[in-house]
Amino acid sequence: MFYRLTLFALLVLVLSGCTGNDWRTTDVSDVMPPLNFKLTDEQGKTVTEKDYVGKATLLFFGYTHCPDVCPTTLARLTSIIRQLDPALRDKIQILFVSVDPARDTPKMLASYTSAFGPEVVGLTGDKAELADITNRFRITYSYGEPDQDGNYTVTHSGAVFAFDRQGDPTFMVIQSDPTSDVKADITHLIEAGMNG
Amino acid sequence: MRRFLTSVAVGTLALVLLSGLAHADSAVTVSDARLRLMPGDLPGAGYLTVHNGSDQAITLVGARCKAYKKVMMHMSMTKDGMSSMRPVPSVKIGPGEDFEFAPSGYHLMLMHRSAPLKVGDTVTVTLELEGQDNLPVVFNVVSPAAM
Repeated sequence: MFYRLTLFALLVLVLSGCTGNDWRTTDVSDVMPPLNFKLTDEQGKTVTEKDYVGKATLLFFGYTHCPDVCPTTLARLTSIIRQLDPALRDKIQILFVSVDPARDTPKMLASYTSAFGPEVVGLTGDKAELADITNRFRITYSYGEPDQDGNYTVTHSGAVFAFDRQGDPTFMVIQSDPTSDVKADITHLIEAGMNG
Repeated sequence: MRRFLTSVAVGTLALVLLSGLAHADSAVTVSDARLRLMPGDLPGAGYLTVHNGSDQAITLVGARCKAYKKVMMHMSMTKDGMSSMRPVPSVKIGPGEDFEFAPSGYHLMLMHRSAPLKVGDTVTVTLELEGQDNLPVVFNVVSPAAM
């Protein structure tokens, strides 16, 4: 009986290992749509997802006046990317989509993303363009009341969505995911793209 | 004479009490204080660990810094996948306890920089304690990409 159970357990392990991607973070390949958008880049140029296929993509929504969560998320992702084998590093990009276009001009986004590294690309759009991409990935955002100096906070999704180099959805990272899991998934995402 | 003795006793008692308070103040220590400098006029975040080594609770009620117009204590929260921030009016730290201002949690938000700063500099941020002397803390200025 014990041996039968062990054999069964082994079989399950082997089979599950064969079913492609076992993401350690949350698998969203069946629940999220492929990458698709029309936005404005740091040079003020209109861009679509077609400008970014060919590399794995990490998509994150935020705003530059966010002092804590946004820089922390970008710092974690860029530090993981810097730890990767040099051959893998330029096969992934981070698309930082600002949901605060009133303050985040292309110029502001350029200065912001350059503080993190060349793999971070700042994008934003008008209200309709942002509605398209945020509805597509089922996220929301809202603006807080401005203080007397006009400062306001933005509530936004804290998740990072990962896509393969064809722009198909793979996994989602939330803040509480351990960095070791995020690193393993990012490495696997890039390596799978290189083999496939 | 008796009155004199009483005065001496009261004076001594006051001295003992006062030195006890002074000692309590000096037992508050800080480690790992760093300020994540953002480009331009973007707000930066300050992180640190405060250790209350005294035998009484302390309450942080604010902070200020000559290099920034405004410093606020803030807390980041994630609820139903949404990240937001709210101001925190005060933080109480019990005797013997550590309190961490750390990424994605409690932080100091430093707004509207009024003096030039660069990564590698140090800057003093003064923590305001309720009913006690302010606590000046030297922060290391670090890159936005630092955790």
